[in-house]
Amino acid sequence: MDLQKINVKFFVTSRERIQLTDFIDIFNSWIQDSDGDYYDVADYSHMHAGPGILLISYEANISMDDTGNRLGLLYNRKQPLGGSNNEKLKFAFKTALEFCRRVENEPALRGRVRFRGDEVHFLINDRLVAPNTNEAFRAVKPELEGLARTLYGGAEFTLDHNSDPKQRFSVFIKTPRAFDVDTLLKNLGSRGDQLVGISVT
Amino acid sequence: MTFGINNYTNNKVNKYELLEYYPKDFLDRGAFMSGVETWKERLARLMPPDLAREIDIFETQIELRKQGKIDERVFAETRLRRGVYGQRYDNGQRHDGIKVQKLKLPSGDLTKGPETVWDAPGMIRIKIPFGGLNPEQMEVLADLSEEYSDGVSHVTTRQDIQYHFVHIDDTPSLMRRLAAVGITTREACGNVVRNVTACPLAGVCRDQVFDVTPYAKACSKFLLGHPDTQDFGRKFKIAFSGCKEQPCGLTSMHDLGAIARVRLVNGEARRGFEFYVGGGLGAVPYQAKLFDEFLPEEELFPLAQAISRVFARLGEKRNRARARIKFLVANLGIEEFRRIVLEERQKLVADPRWTEYLSKVHEQTESPLKPGVSLNGSNRAEGFDAWYATNVYHQRQPGYVVATVTLPLGDITASQLRALADIARRFVKDTIRTTVEQNIVLRWVSEADLPALYSALCEIGLGEPNAGTIVDVTACPGTDTCKLGIASSRGLARELRTRLSEKSLELDAAVKGLRIKVSGCFNSCGQHHVADIGFYGISRNVNGYTVPHFQVMLGGKWKENAGAYGLPVSAIPSKRIPEVVMRVTDRYVRERLKGESFQDFISRIGKKEVKVMLEDLTRIPSHDADASYYSDWGDPREFTLTDMGVGECAGEVVSQAQFTLAASERELFEAQIYFDSGDFKKAVLTAYGAMVHAAQALMKTQNYDISNNEETILNEFRQRFCDTQIFYDKYAGSKFAEYLFKAGDALSNNGHAGREIALQRLQEAQLFIDAAHSCYNKLSSMMSVSRANSAAASAGEG
Repeated sequence: MDLQKINVKFFVTSRERIQLTDFIDIFNSWIQDSDGDYYDVADYSHMHAGPGILLISYEANISMDDTGNRLGLLYNRKQPLGGSNNEKLKFAFKTALEFCRRVENEPALRGRVRFRGDEVHFLINDRLVAPNTNEAFRAVKPELEGLARTLYGGAEFTLDHNSDPKQRFSVFIKTPRAFDVDTLLKNLGSRGDQLVGISVT
Repeated sequence: MTFGINNYTNNKVNKYELLEYYPKDFLDRGAFMSGVETWKERLARLMPPDLAREIDIFETQIELRKQGKIDERVFAETRLRRGVYGQRYDNGQRHDGIKVQKLKLPSGDLTKGPETVWDAPGMIRIKIPFGGLNPEQMEVLADLSEEYSDGVSHVTTRQDIQYHFVHIDDTPSLMRRLAAVGITTREACGNVVRNVTACPLAGVCRDQVFDVTPYAKACSKFLLGHPDTQDFGRKFKIAFSGCKEQPCGLTSMHDLGAIARVRLVNGEARRGFEFYVGGGLGAVPYQAKLFDEFLPEEELFPLAQAISRVFARLGEKRNRARARIKFLVANLGIEEFRRIVLEERQKLVADPRWTEYLSKVHEQTESPLKPGVSLNGSNRAEGFDAWYATNVYHQRQPGYVVATVTLPLGDITASQLRALADIARRFVKDTIRTTVEQNIVLRWVSEADLPALYSALCEIGLGEPNAGTIVDVTACPGTDTCKLGIASSRGLARELRTRLSEKSLELDAAVKGLRIKVSGCFNSCGQHHVADIGFYGISRNVNGYTVPHFQVMLGGKWKENAGAYGLPVSAIPSKRIPEVVMRVTDRYVRERLKGESFQDFISRIGKKEVKVMLEDLTRIPSHDADASYYSDWGDPREFTLTDMGVGECAGEVVSQAQFTLAASERELFEAQIYFDSGDFKKAVLTAYGAMVHAAQALMKTQNYDISNNEETILNEFRQRFCDTQIFYDKYAGSKFAEYLFKAGDALSNNGHAGREIALQRLQEAQLFIDAAHSCYNKLSSMMSVSRANSAAASAGEG
């Protein structure tokens, strides 16, 4: 399977003291700091367990996403990625983590947002390419396992797949060990801002 | 042989055959893992062939536009008629609050319309006739919002669904998946008949004369793609209402409004409609004029068709600001307009579709899932009573209710929409509708199920009460996504909802029953004219800064089918609007007379007094003292009008001749694909079809009703264009016309269709179509000169 439209979500450690609407100002400041990378900010803070606040760009959307009532940073890759599946996965995870790190370091938040590294939600946002079946899981599993081994530096992990046919193809990658964003980025190798695609300053 | 674009396709090129001949990479952006059958092929089996073909055509048009083979204006109107709309910043730049940034979009100079960059995301509008949905459709809508948009389906004030931030390259796939569950985006935008709306209670309403649903449904189908509705200067909106007194249908503000009536004729009760024409909101709102007190049901479609023809013929085309039918009716006067329409009606050739649907309109179209049982002492969750008071309507059928699902700002997430589909399956059948107040209703709920339904809705965050109250603010997209937006209508609506929700339990009943509607500009997509308290976005210069404001409109009437429009009172800075709402409603509670409506109250105290009451709210602190007044709700950027663009509501005025010429180009492209795949016979046939269509396009400049019959087209083309040497090249003479006739003769003689012949035919077809374009341009410039001369002559006479 040619993995495209990869989505990666890292959850916050605690949602207390986090106001979704804070991210309207933050994402707007990111736009001001960029050079035409981002298209717009979309505000869905009025919705229950919704997509939250999105930073829209041509290549990908980055959002503080509350889907499933679980707040986290979602990297939603829209445009095709080149390279092997392993390279594409690594790129998507690293880019998501770079954005997590940027949020954690955001001065306006004064350290109120931290992401947990022990659980990642991986999705393919295209039912036509990847229906949510056990067959699809079997096809993707080896590559995800490879990625998870690198991500967690050889620590134990599990892949949970729920094959509800109505949902998009998704897998929860979990480890019993605690990891922070910097460690995960280090495990994945090079920095996200050295990669092609959206610049991460 | 019939050469109507769709008919030709159906007769000559089978959809499935077509799939075989397109190059694989052109068709498949993804494939099922089995590798046996593409998803596109699977979907094709699930939709009507006509619809499948239309989407294939649109995909080809996208490809042709990318190759520069379709003019951007023609393409813009083409995509609009497929529901593919522009969105804010799609000119490729955005003001970030400090400076204008050029957006990084890789498409370069490629555009999808004037000043509309190809890779800029856009909006797609999905037509939901009369708001009718079933659970399967809801699930697909949910899936598509996740995969192609931002995870949200937005219910509009015309019962449509909209997605934002969609890439145009994704639209054919999106359309196919919608078509597979019976939904089209066709004619959701552009200068055509928009979504036909109807009261969401139709069929279950206690006040209705009869159920207008079957009429709205049939009308939507009849006018969709109808040749007489393709040449309008502006959009055309139709609404149906089951009764005159209640507001649900809003017929007074529509281009064409039909209110159910029954009249005794020779002792027999006959159905018909009180029929209105020429209403509309926008910058210049008009109340619709009564066309006929009782239009018999069998005359509904012929009259709609006749009105369409008159609008296409006499409606304004050049001045977009005065191109709606309301201006035509006003200019002619309703008497003269009626006379012309009735004259046109007499000329129409009878169409079986006018009446064939009538045999089924008396049938019950919906049925309940469960027996109707009243609500008796069931356990009720906390909050149930408040929800029941505002969100439940007792149907005319005992034991059944309509439950309104309140959607904040008309938005519903993919997860919620999917879960709501499951809830619908649990409690009702396919009896779900969107509303013009941006909510969703479940009809035919057994009353005894309400506590369980409420709990299920609460579980997915949709148990909010206050449907149809002052808290349930309606808003158009405004500056969030609309190119025309001046101020943030959704931002204001979000703020008002939050503040009013907090106070909802304390609100006086008279205030709670009021409605607030917000538009981001004067175009009135938020329907501010028909709200008790309405707002539309404007800007004012204050202390040298451009400051977002809203014009306050008071006294509009939602009831009586939008019976009166509100009047502008004062321009107030955006950030002070919540104070306006509190002040006006507080005074209403304090000073209203017994039983006095809000409209009567405003009328009694007078506009002057209201203005005085709000006077201090027109002022704001200096920028240095508080800069927050200089930005809009939910948008930290300092306010600017820099991002406003050219709206696409008006579409592009593209003649039918231009559309048909574009279709002939597309057919020639298809012929080339057949050629490349080695099917020379189909290449020859399709190339000939392209030439016939190009000839038909030219004929449309002289005879709008030119038939689709090949022989007729050829005869008339020869007579009107060849014999008169209108289709004549200075150097090549009649050579290009001969290509057409020669190709036709060869087909009649069952000529050989080898590679050489096919290649020759393709080349000749290209030359013929180029010549047709030249001829059309020549005719257009002659007509322009003629118009200019007559305008000059008129001016001289004046």
